[in-house]
Amino acid sequence: MVFRVFGTFLLLFLPVHLAAAQVRQITGRVTNAATGQGLAEATIAVNGTRIVGQTGTDGNFVLNAPDGDLNLVVRGIGYKRQEVALPESQRTVNVALEPDVFKLEEIVITGQATGVARQNLPNAVATVDAGELTRAPAQTLESALQGKIPGALIQANSGAPGGGYQLSLRGVSTINGSTDPLYVVDGIVISNAAIPNGANAVTQAQAGGNPRNQDNAVNRIADLNPEDIEQIEVLKGGSAAAIYGSKATNGVVIITTKKGRQGKPQFNISQRFGFSSRANELGSRNFATLAEALSVFTDTATVTALYQPGRSFNFEEEIYGKKGLSYETNASVSGGSENTQYYISGLVKKDAGIATNTGYDKQALRSNLTQELGAGVQVQVNLSGTHSVSDRGVSNNDNSGTSPFLVFPFTPNFVDLAAANANAENLQPGDFPRNPFERSNPLQTFQFLKNDEDVWRLMGTSTLRWSVLQSARHSLQFMGVGGVDYFQQDNNFVSPPELQFEPNDGQPGTVVLSKSSNRNLNLSFNGTHTFTGGGEGPQFTTSAGFQYEERRLFATQVIGRNLLTGQQSPQQAASQSVLSNIQPVRDLGFFAQEEVLLAGQKLLLTAGVRADRSSSNGDPGKYFFYPKLAASYRFVRPFGGVDELKLRGAYGQTGNRAQFGALFSPDTTATIGGNSGTFIGNRAGDPNIKPERQEEFEGGIDATFANGRAELTLTGYQRNIKDLLLEQTLAPSSGQENRIFSSASTLRNRGVEASLTLSPVRSASVNWVFRTTFFANRSKITRLTVPTFQTGGFALSLGTYQLEQDSSATQIFGSEGKVGDATPDFQMSFSNDIDFNRFTLGFLVDWKKGGDIINLTQFLYDAGQNSVDFVEPGGGAARIARFGEGFTQPYVQDGSYLKLREVNLSYNLSDRTTAAIFGSAIRTARISLTGRNLLRVTPYDGLDPEVSNFGNQAIVRNIDVAPFPPSRSFYFSIDLGF
Amino acid sequence: MTPLVKVSRLVLALIAVGGAACDFEIANPNSPDIIGENPNRSQVAASSIGLLIATRSDVADWALDGALLGREAYRFDGSDPRFTGEMMQGPLDPGSRAFGGDHWAEPYAAIRSANNLLAVIGTATALTAEEQNAVRGYAHTLQAYNLLIVLDAHTQDQIPIDVGTDVTAPPAPLATNAEAYTRVIQLLDGAVPELVGGGAAFPFTLPAGFSGFNTPATFVQFNRALRARVAVYRADYAGALTALGESFILTPITPLDLDLGVYMDFSAGAGDLPNPLAQDPRVGENFGNPLLRTQAQLQADGVSLDRRFLTKLVPRDLRSAGTPQALNSDLGWIRYPSPNSPIPLIKNEELILLRAEANLGLLNPGAAVTDINLVRTISGGLPVYGGPVDQASVLAELLYNKRYSLMYEGAHSWIDYRRYGLTALLTGLDRPGPPPDTIFPTLPIPTAELLPR
Repeated sequence: MVFRVFGTFLLLFLPVHLAAAQVRQITGRVTNAATGQGLAEATIAVNGTRIVGQTGTDGNFVLNAPDGDLNLVVRGIGYKRQEVALPESQRTVNVALEPDVFKLEEIVITGQATGVARQNLPNAVATVDAGELTRAPAQTLESALQGKIPGALIQANSGAPGGGYQLSLRGVSTINGSTDPLYVVDGIVISNAAIPNGANAVTQAQAGGNPRNQDNAVNRIADLNPEDIEQIEVLKGGSAAAIYGSKATNGVVIITTKKGRQGKPQFNISQRFGFSSRANELGSRNFATLAEALSVFTDTATVTALYQPGRSFNFEEEIYGKKGLSYETNASVSGGSENTQYYISGLVKKDAGIATNTGYDKQALRSNLTQELGAGVQVQVNLSGTHSVSDRGVSNNDNSGTSPFLVFPFTPNFVDLAAANANAENLQPGDFPRNPFERSNPLQTFQFLKNDEDVWRLMGTSTLRWSVLQSARHSLQFMGVGGVDYFQQDNNFVSPPELQFEPNDGQPGTVVLSKSSNRNLNLSFNGTHTFTGGGEGPQFTTSAGFQYEERRLFATQVIGRNLLTGQQSPQQAASQSVLSNIQPVRDLGFFAQEEVLLAGQKLLLTAGVRADRSSSNGDPGKYFFYPKLAASYRFVRPFGGVDELKLRGAYGQTGNRAQFGALFSPDTTATIGGNSGTFIGNRAGDPNIKPERQEEFEGGIDATFANGRAELTLTGYQRNIKDLLLEQTLAPSSGQENRIFSSASTLRNRGVEASLTLSPVRSASVNWVFRTTFFANRSKITRLTVPTFQTGGFALSLGTYQLEQDSSATQIFGSEGKVGDATPDFQMSFSNDIDFNRFTLGFLVDWKKGGDIINLTQFLYDAGQNSVDFVEPGGGAARIARFGEGFTQPYVQDGSYLKLREVNLSYNLSDRTTAAIFGSAIRTARISLTGRNLLRVTPYDGLDPEVSNFGNQAIVRNIDVAPFPPSRSFYFSIDLGF
Repeated sequence: MTPLVKVSRLVLALIAVGGAACDFEIANPNSPDIIGENPNRSQVAASSIGLLIATRSDVADWALDGALLGREAYRFDGSDPRFTGEMMQGPLDPGSRAFGGDHWAEPYAAIRSANNLLAVIGTATALTAEEQNAVRGYAHTLQAYNLLIVLDAHTQDQIPIDVGTDVTAPPAPLATNAEAYTRVIQLLDGAVPELVGGGAAFPFTLPAGFSGFNTPATFVQFNRALRARVAVYRADYAGALTALGESFILTPITPLDLDLGVYMDFSAGAGDLPNPLAQDPRVGENFGNPLLRTQAQLQADGVSLDRRFLTKLVPRDLRSAGTPQALNSDLGWIRYPSPNSPIPLIKNEELILLRAEANLGLLNPGAAVTDINLVRTISGGLPVYGGPVDQASVLAELLYNKRYSLMYEGAHSWIDYRRYGLTALLTGLDRPGPPPDTIFPTLPIPTAELLPR
């Protein structure tokens, strides 16, 4: 069969079917079958031709169609497709479309340029549309996705403004390879690099026994504007993502931005106001008597002078208690003529941070244009520019006493750290008292330290689609995509010499000026041929193409120490050092895929293969092959109560790259007394490095029942990852500390995903959709070809991850042995969307059960005998005593949480009210109250169970060291359409 | 032309464009490769200096940790309670790279860097045979220095010595402590003929800390000084005197004479390493153990404390740290006043005291007192020793002088008092506990060293 299809692929001299010369005008109306309201922007296509019409805002349409018996195909986004036969004599037609609550007809992208309807989909591909994405305002895309994708663990690394999230799909897919999913926006692969901000020059965090960066970097997917996104599809692993080849093991997130549609210009403006407030505090020990204070802080003179019974200060409130005004303005206009469609949007956003001098500002512009050039050629040009500035203060681990939550544990709450004239206009560093108990006064630090991250990002994609052939039976399309994603990140980190801690290193004042840029250049081309057997007949879709990608990350950092007052440039600093890092990568891949719909569109069979080579492999000339196979079958009304039942199974392979440089065993260069030298680097590379290979099997059942009121999907999967890249800790006597190499080790993940969607009420006045998801995953290292080793953390006694055969990949070890596991037992989410007349209420609850966290912040408070519960039974004193006896367990804690992620209550004003308030030019008006992360229930003792001192990591997350505290946010919004 | 032909031409053109743009061989853009066969002069120089920089990695850390273990210093680091916990009360965590598991990886990395250089130096046709020899003698001497650091910190019989080979091979076997000392001695002694046959100059420029010892002929004196230290540690007192005779030992007249020696350079200059022990003594985290004040002897005026104490420590505001009982100190270090202050590797003051120790070991306390008095008067401003001249008393006096002359310079108190079983003399201000402060006899062998075995 496949040969026959390839045969037709080659037979291209079939005549293009042209519309008949005779024309008649057809009029009609498309309505929502549930409410009877007219449906705007529905399309009416004449089958077998290129003739397409569109409804206006009232649902009416006019179409010029040829004579003869016609088949009209009527589609509306979010509605089930309907085919209507139109006899030669008929000139008017009314169509009522059923809402497609379960998105069965949504086309899901399954190849580089092809897709199948969800009802036939052989994989559990999660999709999130614009409505779900923007239920409540989100700073960055990932927070808008939390709780919406079964199979994904999406967690913030801290509460700092401006992002820093990790999205991991279906458990641990690597130990030392890349951890990021592949982000594809409008056909081009974009960067999600996380570039450190340079804080390490002050915090010296990497000097403390763990060389990983702890700057709390932002991964750059934060630059996307969630409001511009029409749809996100998440391919979770090998079986769905094989066509993306050697970079797809961590999943592929396919993002499609909004496009214009034919019609008059439609303006939408939404204005939001709100604020954020801190969501949690740790508190500290209250000293009831001077004697008690002196038992901990033995500097008698200082303590006696400062201590006053009953006096205490809340440092956390003083730094993190800000509730500045946040606002966001989104405006867009879209529309177009028959040949030209446009979508243009702008965003201005300012999020005030909860801490002094922190916050996140973003401005974005996007123009998406589509132009028909005639002869079946269409070009689409998407351009976007984003600028963001974030100021994130200092947080996470340090070795210089600068992070607030590393200072508070050793500072009693009876000392006043605030400036005497705290409300003065022009505060000076000298206005703040010295913290006599620690090296810094965090209030002073946050007032004067600058940690600005300024990012400009430009993305441009040009897509050329050439419909060579379009007939009732055959269509042949070619698509070429060229695109560039470029960003420049400037970090300006200035720690003035007057800060209390600054003279400690003998070089008062530190400035770190970083400039980093990243260029992703993409070029891809593919051809797709579709043969349709007519009606319910078979359909063959064949596609093939290639994809070339070039990336170049170039990061530089200039560090200046020993500054004069007011000096902000490293140029004149008494001591200077420079860091630079270049990461060039080139990849080329070829792919081919065949999708066949048979048996009255009930049976789908898919096969595909991808071949990839890359400059980051040991043998850059070698192609690695990644095959896939999938099938699904739909049973229509198999038994009572069940509308449709689909069985599906899929198998596929993907790869995962080593981090840049794994190929090399770099030397280190440094200078002594003006002479430079090179010596052995810590890490040995592997000249034969190759991508990891994931094999994934996935099977599942999708069922809709109760007359389209309920949908259940169940998915089970197993993924085996072989050729694991390992960073083996070497016996240090070898002279190097670790070595990265392609090993023969294997890792397995097994898991289940389920989702149940109910639409119990669907009437003209009430519409209620309830959705719940479930996800559980277990990983196991099935073969480890190196001896058991430990990675991450700071020391065995402070909790570390131990990799050993036949054990979970995320087990946490302490002095006494195994003390926990970072993998959650399961995750669930619950969402409700209720429309009641003009009101809409939506909320989302995200629940994670289990998953342990190493709480070193509490360890520090306990070590300072300053934790809030220090003297309580079983409190800090008991924990630290147990720790002293050689137990890590007290600080490895359950990270379960239940969070109310999103709440949205909105009211759609009636046309009359709208006109009365805003004038008749305004088409629609809505006011909303929204909130994010409003409620939280957790047994965890720390600030937030979403925490990662080391940022995005394959395994060594869930380490809590002085993070930026979490916040909740509230917004009031007005949305106008005209 | 059919659409097919057009399309296939387009596809081929695009592939050609893609293919032409792709050079898939990308060299490491960020750092040079390790030294290979037939290196040129500048590669040899870079690798030789690199070996010195690798050696420097542990020097300041060793001075600090040695001072904590030998009760010369406290570190009140709010970010890390392990300086007052793990390092003083234990348990020493062999898995913590910067604490219990320290003073292992860095010296072995330097040893490996030396191996990489030694493996190819014979193929360096750009160098004369003499220059090659000079490099060998230099590298072997620094290897010995680094292995000695490992031995100073670890007294167990689990010291790998045949190290620094292929990282994919199993780790080197564990040898006894005595075997490792034998290796140190072999390396030092083997380097002497190499240096002697090493011509007039090294094919690279040593930094200022090696002034006076920067030619093969003078570098030998540094080698012999280390050899004398090892001999004393091994109770080979006659050997120590022989080695001292070939070293740069100089009977001092002024304090500057005592400072003569080999130093590790630090600098705040670009790409260099500032001395991490430099701090503002009023606010820094490194404190002096107040016991040093209590035990300091009085100068000749009968009022002032030992000048060595006064020039290395100054009073500051009282601070305390530690749990559950606190340590207190009001002394700040000024031993390394600037980020450019060098740290001594070995200096004449130690050599004089090593000669005293060797004489004492040869049961000649009178000769020992002569040398001790040189240091007491010139360095400490103290009167000459007036106590009994018996083995035990002179030993106590010798250890006092080694402590005050060499404090904060590389674990001397810890090593010296440990060798004579006298660490109890250092515990005057220790916390009774629980858990009690403990002077550990050794650091544990790191977990990472034992796990792969």
